[in-house]
Amino acid sequence: MVPKAQPEQEHPQVTSASPLRVPDEPVEKMESVESDGLTELRNLLLAPEQAQLAKLQERLNETEFRAEEVGQVLPEAIRLASSRNRELSTALTPVVEEGIQASVKRDPKILVNAIFPLLGPAIRKAIAATLGTMIQSLNQTLEESFSIQGLKWRIEAFRAGKSFAEVVLLHTLLYRVEQVLLIHKKTGLLLQHVVNTAVPVQDADMVSGMLTAIQDFVHDSFNLKKEEALETMQVGELTVWIEPGPEAVLVGVIRGNAPYQLRSIFQETIESIHRQHGSLLTSFQGNSAAFEICRPDLESCLQVQYASHRKKPTFVPLLVIAGLMLGAVGLWSFLSARSHQRWRLYLERLRAEPGLLVVAAEESWGKYSVSGLRDPLAVDPSKLLKETNIDAAQVISRWQPFQSAVPQFVLARAKSLLNPPGTVTLQFENGILRAVGAAPQEWITESRRLAPFISGVAQFQHHVSVDSDVSQTQSLKKQIEKQAVHFVEGGSQFVPNEEEILQTLVEEVRRMQKAARSLKQTLHLEIRGHTDGSGSEQMNRRLGQRRADRVLQFLVSRGFERAQLAAVSTGTNEPATREITESDRALNRRVTFHVTLMAKAEGRGSRP
Amino acid sequence: MIQKKVCMIGSFAVGKTSLVARFVKSIFSEKYLTTVGAKIDKKIVRLGNQELTLILWDLHGDDEFQKVRTSYLQGSAGYLLVADGTRRVTLDKALLLQKEAEEVLGKIPFVLTLNKSDLAREWEISEGTIEQLEGYGWIVIRTSAKDGQGVEEAFLSLAGKLLEG
Repeated sequence: MVPKAQPEQEHPQVTSASPLRVPDEPVEKMESVESDGLTELRNLLLAPEQAQLAKLQERLNETEFRAEEVGQVLPEAIRLASSRNRELSTALTPVVEEGIQASVKRDPKILVNAIFPLLGPAIRKAIAATLGTMIQSLNQTLEESFSIQGLKWRIEAFRAGKSFAEVVLLHTLLYRVEQVLLIHKKTGLLLQHVVNTAVPVQDADMVSGMLTAIQDFVHDSFNLKKEEALETMQVGELTVWIEPGPEAVLVGVIRGNAPYQLRSIFQETIESIHRQHGSLLTSFQGNSAAFEICRPDLESCLQVQYASHRKKPTFVPLLVIAGLMLGAVGLWSFLSARSHQRWRLYLERLRAEPGLLVVAAEESWGKYSVSGLRDPLAVDPSKLLKETNIDAAQVISRWQPFQSAVPQFVLARAKSLLNPPGTVTLQFENGILRAVGAAPQEWITESRRLAPFISGVAQFQHHVSVDSDVSQTQSLKKQIEKQAVHFVEGGSQFVPNEEEILQTLVEEVRRMQKAARSLKQTLHLEIRGHTDGSGSEQMNRRLGQRRADRVLQFLVSRGFERAQLAAVSTGTNEPATREITESDRALNRRVTFHVTLMAKAEGRGSRP
Repeated sequence: MIQKKVCMIGSFAVGKTSLVARFVKSIFSEKYLTTVGAKIDKKIVRLGNQELTLILWDLHGDDEFQKVRTSYLQGSAGYLLVADGTRRVTLDKALLLQKEAEEVLGKIPFVLTLNKSDLAREWEISEGTIEQLEGYGWIVIRTSAKDGQGVEEAFLSLAGKLLEG
């Protein structure tokens, strides 16, 4: 039970506006008495709860207080929620994503710095894996098939009396990292420094500062972007590599030709330093002693690299192959240029050749083809091909026969068809074929019939006289060769009355000489001595000769030129008749004549 | 080993380089100043039982041809503000440069040196001005790179401030 005195007791109010109850206040109205009673009752019953409610209200109104409370339970709440189901992470995902986006938008550097230690290795690993599988098979093939360098080194080692390993080391010193500096990016202060050899080194603290100044200088001078920086300096044999990280840079001073793999070692090192000592770097206040722990990392960069014998050949075969390929390409270019030159020369010669008409010529990948028209009288193209040193097997030639209108071909065709005697000259000009000279009637008739059929001849002009000399010489020749001068038995005296025959002969030969001269020919007279069958062969041969000589002397005495005469003996070989009777034998004892007309030799006229 | 980056800031020809030269033995040529715009020197100072390495960034003086590169200021733990006591204008410039440096580096320790104190007759800066500056809490030291007066003191006071901070 609540005591009576309770209503007078002061109780806490939610607001200061609530009136305080005064104990001696007179009660005048029923209604007010009633309502006062209710309030009183409520107060009596709910006072503690109201106080609690007021407190709660207060806590709800004060956000800071609320935040503090939520903060206290939040980690536990998240832990519980995420262990039960994925609802929380699903709900948070868009928030986190938005947060990341906002962060990148505001300053990408923060996120970049955060993931820097992870990013590099991940990218490198992916690239290396892809490239690795690709290169591996190629390298293996090459390594097994070639090692010219290895062989060369072995020979050198043998000659110099050194071990093979020594020679390899000598040849394969690729690079030496002389010093490595770890520099605090913002202050340019040296964090750690390692040196490989006893090379004279300038004060690393100052070098470090100066390097930083130079980097800043380069960055400012060339308006580089924020993330761009000086990465390499090259001075003679020395290379300075600057590998930047978000808080510190790694600087390597390298002598020789450092391979790019080394750069990745540097990258890995600076990343690993950031990963392991990131907080040391961000809180750096000038105390570099703390970075003593980075020393092993830096020392791992101090590499003296001799190209290992196993690795080196992977370059050598490539070089050899590249060399061979280059050589092959060079040789191929040379050969193809040369054969191209020859082909052009061949075509030029074909085109220059009369009676050959090149219509099409092609050249592709060492194969040639040419087609055109060829006069049968023109030079043989395969002969030209041979002369220009082109392999005939590489050339396809298609020649269609045709008759060229070139004058020399028309003339050649006319000569071969008309077959003019030596006394006739053929000329061809402007489509007109002209025959000049003297010829027997038959030839004149025949040539007139044939000339219109000669291709290229539009007109045939005849200036040929019918040649009487020709007919005369021919008939005289017949007559002379019918003559025979007879001799006494066993001697070289003419039988009686033979002078008449001799006289006739002299006249006939003179006439014939004259006719021959007008035909620009000379006459040759062969005097043949014969005997009868009696007596020995040897004797008869001599007797025949004496008889022929006798006639020759006679003709010379009559003014014939010795050079146009010839005396031969046939002995019994050419009897005029079979010897049965004495008169048969008398007929065989004789001299006969054989006439030859020859084209006149220059400058030698015959005297009658 | 504690190291601190310290910049030398001041107008052209106030004697920054001479101050540094008086204080340390340089390995880099002064050519760097006009080319790169900065020259780095090092001095190890001992304060009580504590050793401190000062990496001194001597910056090319601010003149009409070349501005002080603010990127060179980055990471400084303190700076030496240098003015030529015989040219009042260099002090005004130094005050401007101090403001610029503070924008980049925030409130970090610095010492103002009024150089060429050996040229007493040409002195242009009144005691009142110095007192006024000291009134703001500045450390003002008269130095002479020529006879060495105050040089050590200036660097050591800055070093002391650096260790306090």
